[in-house]
Amino acid sequence: MTLLDLRDIRFAYPGHPPVLDGASLRLAPGQRLSLTGPNGSGKSTLLRIIMGLQAPDSGTITAFGTSRSKEADFHELRRRVGLVFQDPDDQLFCPTVAEDIAFGPLNLGRSRDEALAIVDKVLDDLDLMHLKGRITHKLSGGEKRLVTLAAVLAMEPEALLLDEPTNALDTKNEARLLEILCALPQAILLVSHAPSFRAALAPEALELRDGRLVPV
Amino acid sequence: MAHALGHREATLSEAGDSDRAGIIGALDPRLRIVMACLFGTVTVALTSLPALCAALATALLLLAASRLPPVPTLKRMAMMDGFILFMLVLLPFSVPGPPIVTIWGLTASWAGLWQAVEIALTANAVILALMVLVGTLEPVTLGHALHRLRCPETLVHLLMFTIRYIEVLREEYLRLRGAMKVRGFRPGSNWHTYRSFGYLVGMMLVRAIERSERILGAMKCRGFSGRLLLMQDFALTRRDRVVGAAMTALCLGLLLLDTL
Amino acid sequence: MHIVDGALSNAVVLGGGIAAAGGIAMGLRSLDIDRIPTAGVLSASFFVASLIHVPIGPSSVHLILNGLAGLLLGWAAFPALFVGLLLQAVFFGFGGLTVLGINTLNIALPAMLAWLIFGRLIGRGTPGQGALWGGLGGGFAIAGTTAMVALSLALSGDAFLPAAKLVFFAHLPVMVIEALLAGFAVLLARKVKPELFTRNAIA
Repeated sequence: MTLLDLRDIRFAYPGHPPVLDGASLRLAPGQRLSLTGPNGSGKSTLLRIIMGLQAPDSGTITAFGTSRSKEADFHELRRRVGLVFQDPDDQLFCPTVAEDIAFGPLNLGRSRDEALAIVDKVLDDLDLMHLKGRITHKLSGGEKRLVTLAAVLAMEPEALLLDEPTNALDTKNEARLLEILCALPQAILLVSHAPSFRAALAPEALELRDGRLVPV
Repeated sequence: MAHALGHREATLSEAGDSDRAGIIGALDPRLRIVMACLFGTVTVALTSLPALCAALATALLLLAASRLPPVPTLKRMAMMDGFILFMLVLLPFSVPGPPIVTIWGLTASWAGLWQAVEIALTANAVILALMVLVGTLEPVTLGHALHRLRCPETLVHLLMFTIRYIEVLREEYLRLRGAMKVRGFRPGSNWHTYRSFGYLVGMMLVRAIERSERILGAMKCRGFSGRLLLMQDFALTRRDRVVGAAMTALCLGLLLLDTL
Repeated sequence: MHIVDGALSNAVVLGGGIAAAGGIAMGLRSLDIDRIPTAGVLSASFFVASLIHVPIGPSSVHLILNGLAGLLLGWAAFPALFVGLLLQAVFFGFGGLTVLGINTLNIALPAMLAWLIFGRLIGRGTPGQGALWGGLGGGFAIAGTTAMVALSLALSGDAFLPAAKLVFFAHLPVMVIEALLAGFAVLLARKVKPELFTRNAIA
């Protein structure tokens, strides 16, 4: 089964030439795929379209065998696909790390105790237990990145979309992140400008060129 | 508020450092908020000079018990005095009563002087107690405690979002200011300055709105269903009860002293 | 332009507190849950904007920008500005505790009125016309706040009349500056994000 299947996606911001002009993409379970392309070529837009945060002008999105077009169609998709945002400050909005990680599971209908158990498990898995009670806005850049990943993993997604995950990370934290990601079972769609990171995590790559995705 | 903050100081992140909060830091945050409100209300109700002096002394004692650095804290308090100074100076001249002195045909009265002193004592005692009791809390803990004190949930969430993003936006502001500075911008009283500052403010607001759109997107991606939960709990210890009772007794004592 | 504890009469403090509570309640009702992030981030940015010192002659003033807050937030300006005042009092010792209500009312009511009067106008016409209305809204809000602060003092006793007058006249230049800044801020926003004001605030 294909996790994600995008066909012929077209999208333009009002008053601008199209950024996506017939982009197609398939992601299979466990597959690791990189997206490359210059700044402003529409990589982040594509991720937002997959998550249903932006509607394409035309084209189809099929996820887990179901076609998705309306807002309600994307509710289930968002439970099964996790997007890690480029700027951790956009994603970590809760006062404390524990509350932020619990936010997703609570939305999935878990009870408070179940959510807290998930928080403990995810933090333990990523070896981040020491951050549990910390205030989110006081975390370092590297810590913020790892906590955003934990917050997404807490929802047990089947696929991960990563938007420039190594932005503003030092080499040590980058290595740590790579180690964690490589050990995950999930399919990964990676947007990154760092060639070494792409080569290590997801060597198979598509380039976004003139609004289309072409194999590299 | 700008005046209370040096350029290098962080906005809220240095405010609450629980390690150094001493006796007061160990108290239940809810109790600290309630006590600050009780003390504030009682102090505003006081009218006699001895009672007001006692109230200020109480606030100073709280400061001593808090292990807050006394000098910067008192400086912040004094900063507020700077702002009300002109009002206090005017009062002796505008309240009728037995004269003290006449300057340029204006007569200062004892009654007006007392009123000015009263206001100064009240304002300083209340704000100092507030800073010591509540200002030593981690801002996030303040939000949690207000939630447990049954503040409307929407208001608490609004407070939490504000606290969360002040530092992020301030860094954004400092980056924009830095970018202006390195291109030779030096503020003065001129059209160019006001236009540049206006653009700066406009840019900050546009970026803030765009950021809030991304935040909402991130919330939706994690299945946001219109519910936000706050999880921190507090428990009153025996010590909290004792301190609470002592503070209440002290406030009653102030009221009693006032009637003497 | 914050009033401190102990300066005002009980009637003014109490009345201000009740009116502010009403305004905050109205504002909270206008905020459904997915507008809280926008209101919170805006409230934080107004907090940060109040750090900006703008030179004026030999001195400098810090900004209040309640007009812009009102234009963007509508009724929600009440809770947003209250949160700012609460944080300023608690963590910076600025303003006071028992006067939080009256201070909120003095700052937020003119902001909300600016939205009622100028809110629809700033999204219309050319960006320049929008900026003009935005500037008028900004100047109106700060003038309203100054008048209300002066009124709060005057209502508390005749002895405060000289101080009340002084507050008002000392702030005349501030009104001009806030109006200019609000105007240019709207001009920029209309140019870079035209849809911002056509959605008619978030409230």
